Amino acid sequence: MAQNAFEPRNGVGRSSRLSDSPHDSSHHSHSPGQGVDSHFDSALNELAPPRAWQSSRWMGWRLRLLVVLTLLGCVGVFALTSVVIGMRHVDAMWSVNAQGQIQLADSNEPALKAHRGHVLVGVSGGDDPRIAPVDPLALKRSARWVIDDAMRAHQRELHAGLAAAFAQPQVKFHFADGVVVSVEPQPHALIGLPLIYWFLLGVALALYMLAVIVLLSRPSVRNVAYLVMAWCQAGNLVFIAIESTLELGLPDAFLALDMPVRMAFDLVTAAAMVNAVCLHPRRLPGSGWIAIAAWAAALGPVVLLSLQRLPHAWWWAQCSVAALGLLAIALLSWSYHLERHPFAIVLRRFGIVTISTWSLLTLALGVSSNLAGMPHNIADVGSMIWYVFLASLLLLVPFLARSQTFMREFSLLAAISTVATSLDLLFVAVFSLGQFASLTLSLFVSLAVYSGARQWILNQLLGSSMLTTERMFEQLYRIAREVEAQPERTPALLTQLLRDLFDPLEANLVERQTARTRVATDGSGLLVPLPALTPSAAPNAALPASVMIRFAHRGRRLFTSEDARLTDRIVEQLRRAVYFDRAVEQGRSEERLRLAQDLHDDIGARLLTLMYKAQSPEMEDYVRHTLQDLKTLTRGLAASNHRLSHAAAEWKADLTQRLTAAHIELKWSFNFDEDILLSVVQWSALTRVLRELVSNAIAHAQAQQLEIDFTFANDRVELVISDDGIGREPRAWSHGLGLGGVRKRVKQLGGQVEWREVAPHGICCRVVIRNLSAGHG
Amino acid sequence: MPVKVLIVEDNPVARSFLSRVVRESFSDALMITEAGDLETARRQVELSRSGPSAGDPFKLVLVDLELPDGNGMELLAELAQYPATKIVTTLYSDDDHLFPALQCGADGYLLKEDRFEVLVEELQKIVRGQPPLSPAIARRLLTHFRHGPPGPGGPNSAAMPLLSGLQTSRPVPSGRGAPLDHERLTPRESEVLTYLSKGFTIKEIASLMGIKWFTVNDHIKSIYKKLNVSSRAEAAVLASKQGLV
Repeated sequence: MAQNAFEPRNGVGRSSRLSDSPHDSSHHSHSPGQGVDSHFDSALNELAPPRAWQSSRWMGWRLRLLVVLTLLGCVGVFALTSVVIGMRHVDAMWSVNAQGQIQLADSNEPALKAHRGHVLVGVSGGDDPRIAPVDPLALKRSARWVIDDAMRAHQRELHAGLAAAFAQPQVKFHFADGVVVSVEPQPHALIGLPLIYWFLLGVALALYMLAVIVLLSRPSVRNVAYLVMAWCQAGNLVFIAIESTLELGLPDAFLALDMPVRMAFDLVTAAAMVNAVCLHPRRLPGSGWIAIAAWAAALGPVVLLSLQRLPHAWWWAQCSVAALGLLAIALLSWSYHLERHPFAIVLRRFGIVTISTWSLLTLALGVSSNLAGMPHNIADVGSMIWYVFLASLLLLVPFLARSQTFMREFSLLAAISTVATSLDLLFVAVFSLGQFASLTLSLFVSLAVYSGARQWILNQLLGSSMLTTERMFEQLYRIAREVEAQPERTPALLTQLLRDLFDPLEANLVERQTARTRVATDGSGLLVPLPALTPSAAPNAALPASVMIRFAHRGRRLFTSEDARLTDRIVEQLRRAVYFDRAVEQGRSEERLRLAQDLHDDIGARLLTLMYKAQSPEMEDYVRHTLQDLKTLTRGLAASNHRLSHAAAEWKADLTQRLTAAHIELKWSFNFDEDILLSVVQWSALTRVLRELVSNAIAHAQAQQLEIDFTFANDRVELVISDDGIGREPRAWSHGLGLGGVRKRVKQLGGQVEWREVAPHGICCRVVIRNLSAGHG
Repeated sequence: MPVKVLIVEDNPVARSFLSRVVRESFSDALMITEAGDLETARRQVELSRSGPSAGDPFKLVLVDLELPDGNGMELLAELAQYPATKIVTTLYSDDDHLFPALQCGADGYLLKEDRFEVLVEELQKIVRGQPPLSPAIARRLLTHFRHGPPGPGGPNSAAMPLLSGLQTSRPVPSGRGAPLDHERLTPRESEVLTYLSKGFTIKEIASLMGIKWFTVNDHIKSIYKKLNVSSRAEAAVLASKQGLV
């Protein structure tokens, strides 16, 4: 039914795998040389790709051919329209009444207008005395959708008679009440052609052109198959368009062609679809044989029909198409099993919808055909809508990766309309409901299905976004922090974000430059450029330039251009978040610096004066202590972090000086397994704890020796300070400002502190912080 | 003849405190001149050079870094050739503030919040030629001599002094490229500096290196001298640029 339009290129950048998940292993078993699969691909906007050696040679004749075929298409439309205009007709609308008779519904002819509602029994032309009888079958426009062979023959007879009558200059309408009205058939006016004619012709022309463009942009077997399908369906639409302009009486030749040609169109489309899915998204084993079998199955009935040797032709046609459609769906399932290409799954969904509506339509028409008083035009309208639906799907397929929302909605609507008409027929046929009732009911059911299932269907067709907005923001800001801290991890972090966003089967770093995010390999991949998030991370040629993610939603979904734009926006937001973070951090550090300077200059000078003027040594020490705390505070504010070994050296020098002045010997031991960076909080807390404990020993212990043992291993801090002083019974100490401060600081770091007596005399203080990095600092 | 001492300090309480420290430190007869700002200090220095008592310069100069009319380092830079022991007195104990002062020719520094006895001892040591070297400054010196004088944007430019005003008065080293002889440390001096930067005391360093403690002291003095010499040349260039000389 549908296939992808573009040949993959084998321009594969060197890629490095970022990660491996167990799901990936099956996928990676295939080698890149298989041709079906490649990392990068073109899209429609690369009709003139930079690969000059190829394009210069090909583009010349391809462009010329494109122009010629475009002109041909337009000329064809004009020619067809002029033929249609040239056909003479009588401006009247006919309908079938409850008794199965044709009656005049409306007319702009003054002579006929008076007979509205009257039943027509026959038509004769000019002086010809033969009256061609009419019955409801005469109003049936398409022979293709007349189910019974005998009825089709009868329809042809009817139309032959009518056509002969209309060939005369005057046409006489014989009404059941004996009135004969003579009218002169007129050619169509250009304006007078029904809108549906122009619409169908427009869709047919679009399909024709798109197929040509697709094939010429990348000539390949599967694109030829696409061309065949598109052109056949365009042909179907042209037939329906012509029929829409006619009321009574079809040209005999046209009617003779209608059945075989349109049946051929349908069967060839089905065979081409099977052929296409054999080749895309990957070449299936034995694809040649499958394709040949499909073509044989499709062309067999066509040949038989043209030889008039096919009884129950309509059933043959319908069932062959349905069988081929089911085959295509099965092939797509197989293809997805072999390689989890999301294209297969999307196409399979399209196929299921198409074939099921086709079967529904077939069933409805088949059941209702034998009933008298069947609404004669429902079959026409139903089949027409189905063709428009198929055409819209065909138009959609090459653009799957760029998400034509309009096309998507349109085809969905067409599918629902097909369902509605089929249901209408079924209700009339099976439940013997009145026409109005069944129409209302089927419309109601269809609308309910449409509105209820629309979102679900859309999600199923193209999948929904994996992340909720909330989680997305959370991720974004977390990654911004991490990028700020470790700019070299940007690619890994971005890849992680993309993984969470699209849940792809693969994410690789590749050395391929791209200005902005774009969809590659027809929607199976997305190429995201790595942004320069930090100024220090200067663009380096050795670094990978992009992240390539493939097979969204674990291979169940195609990337669309909306995804690409979304990714661009997310990356932009990430860049902004990093930028703001940096600006905020800079502002904070400037503010801290200013605060520290003010504190130090003003309060420091005052405290100094106070210290010099102190009345007692205790007061002096107290103020000195305060001043030192202030200095620690301001230094902590001004500097961002301190290396552990540097801090330890300063502690040691500071304590040595103080203890030497107090004539106490210091035994210092310091061990660490990792020279970490202490945060401001950690540094100032440890500094003040040490200072406080040493001050305490100097002031109260009357010690000869102080032993300090600092160990940092496995993120665990153990600080033991023991003196040989006169201190006793630590539990009885009044925990004044000093020791209370120690407890507070240790708690701040998530640790514990305890004092105990040591033999023969002295106090030992032990501070343990089990998880320094996990602390509250 | 009394030994002349100049104390430049804006806080009168601190001034008298420092006077007491100086008097306690030395047994000589002292004549202490006090100055509350840079301008007074300059006048006094000028007087000692050309006034009635010319030829009798100050032997000891204590300079506060933060003064009402400028930074003490300006005065230090101006006194580069002045034959006195110059000591910085400050509340700022971090290397960001002290290192530039040492580069400007300071022979040592005193932290104003230290106890009286500690200050007396430190002052005596400096005058005897045993200037202090904190681990942070030792680290700074190592970087200085390893990479040559850091210019703006050099390895240490990222560290910001607390006083933004300092940056303008900090001598901007001009020379880059290969270090001259007086900019190079001997292996022994480097070793001493490395130990100092790790927080070892002079006694510990002496025992670690198997030398006498006063030999360690000599190394430190030599390091100071090299820093002063290398910085003085830069300071001179800077001073002439600023019209200070």
